[in-house]
Amino acid sequence: MASPVTDDPQDLLTLVQWLSPSFPLGSFAFSHGLEHAISSGVIRDGAALADWLGDLVSHGSGRCDAVLLARVLAGGDPAAADALARALAAAPERSRESLVQGRAFLATTNAILGTDWPEMVLPVAVGLQARRLSLAPETVIGLYLQGFAANLVLGAVRLIPLGQTEGQKVIARLAPAIAALAAELARDPGDGALWSATPLADLAAMAHEHQEVRLFRS
Amino acid sequence: MLDRTAPGHAQISAQPRRQRVDARAAAGFALRDGRTVLQRLRQQGSAKAMLPRVHRPEPELVFLNTAGGLTGGDRIGFDLDLAPGTHVVATTQTAERAYASLPETGPAAMTVRITAGAGARIDWLPQETILFERAALHRRTEIDLAGDAACLWCESVVLGREAMGETLQTLDFRDTRVIRRDGVPVMAEPLRLTGATLARREAASGLGGARALATIALIAPDAPDLLGRVLPLCATAGVTASASGWDGRLVIRGLAAKPFALRRWMAAVLDELRGRPLPRVWTI
Repeated sequence: MASPVTDDPQDLLTLVQWLSPSFPLGSFAFSHGLEHAISSGVIRDGAALADWLGDLVSHGSGRCDAVLLARVLAGGDPAAADALARALAAAPERSRESLVQGRAFLATTNAILGTDWPEMVLPVAVGLQARRLSLAPETVIGLYLQGFAANLVLGAVRLIPLGQTEGQKVIARLAPAIAALAAELARDPGDGALWSATPLADLAAMAHEHQEVRLFRS
Repeated sequence: MLDRTAPGHAQISAQPRRQRVDARAAAGFALRDGRTVLQRLRQQGSAKAMLPRVHRPEPELVFLNTAGGLTGGDRIGFDLDLAPGTHVVATTQTAERAYASLPETGPAAMTVRITAGAGARIDWLPQETILFERAALHRRTEIDLAGDAACLWCESVVLGREAMGETLQTLDFRDTRVIRRDGVPVMAEPLRLTGATLARREAASGLGGARALATIALIAPDAPDLLGRVLPLCATAGVTASASGWDGRLVIRGLAAKPFALRRWMAAVLDELRGRPLPRVWTI
């Protein structure tokens, strides 16, 4: 796929609509293991939250999801990417989190666009529908990752708790890492880019399902 | 035996370059009169495979690298093929050691490829991989299951030689693990640990100061049913661990500050899942 030099303004509006918190994905119900990290005292403030989310983005599940999105956006087989995404899920709740949101994303975008895609995990679904948009891959990957991080900040603001301003500062702090990864994956989302170095975040996602008190579904 | 003194980085530089390892050991098992038997065995270079006498119906295969470890530019492969209906337990003779590599040699490359036909069961239980300072190892483990074949798999990694108080700074470790059923990936774990990971070794999302980490997975249609058996073991002191079961897999992960604590915990989990003793080389 040739990268457009400039993003089409109308297509950018479409993508921002799809990735905005008002788009009905049910994302607010999922914490990606963050609830366990907060309730076990690992994350107590904005700095620890920013570290955790930065790690997920740069070298954890955020990176892996973004690789799959980038591959499908560039024309890769969505069924293969969907199967790999499910195999990569560190925990069943992470798998459900991605599938529930992907299903909701496709239900709404299928209705808007007149497409008929079967259910797929969220990053694959976004990559697939975004193929029709005249946008640079780094724009799509970057906005996707920011949406992922912003949703988790929204949950953390309630759980820690943090002030709204502190939460927005965390999102702002993540911008360089998000932009760097988006640029890297726009160049090459091959096997060399698919890796993870966040064993304890994976463990938190697994431990969440065994927690007695849970507000979130992951 | 194979536990010879490892060359440190300085020693490698001072000595004439040793010959690069290019080794492969491949074994195939078939079903004969209802029993699993070794059908073929090929060994090249320093890669060997042995079949110790065991008093169980399923054969035990032990791979080893007689070069004693891996350094930059080395290539080693272990291949295993299980015909339908067979059951094999495979392990490694000793811990795999990844020694210091020089930048100009590139990383050591290791591949493990296992195929298992319908109804087969492979227990792939290699001993830990010990990463030395400046180690560069890229390993790929691919397990292909057909039909209802089952797989019990574990992998453990130790960062530095604890006895020497070694704290790693420089590392290039990639360990891609993929298990497929009928060609479709069912579990993928592309671990990568580098100097950047080590610079933040206390990171709460990463290692949390741990020196050893492990994953154990049982891939079988009824694997999630065993979650209740292993979950109590995840509360073991000295190990941070958890377990989950879903979609035909049971996954257990653990990290520890003390490699020996992790090894003992792994043995307990594997004993619980197997209901029989671990291969003798695992003796702890």
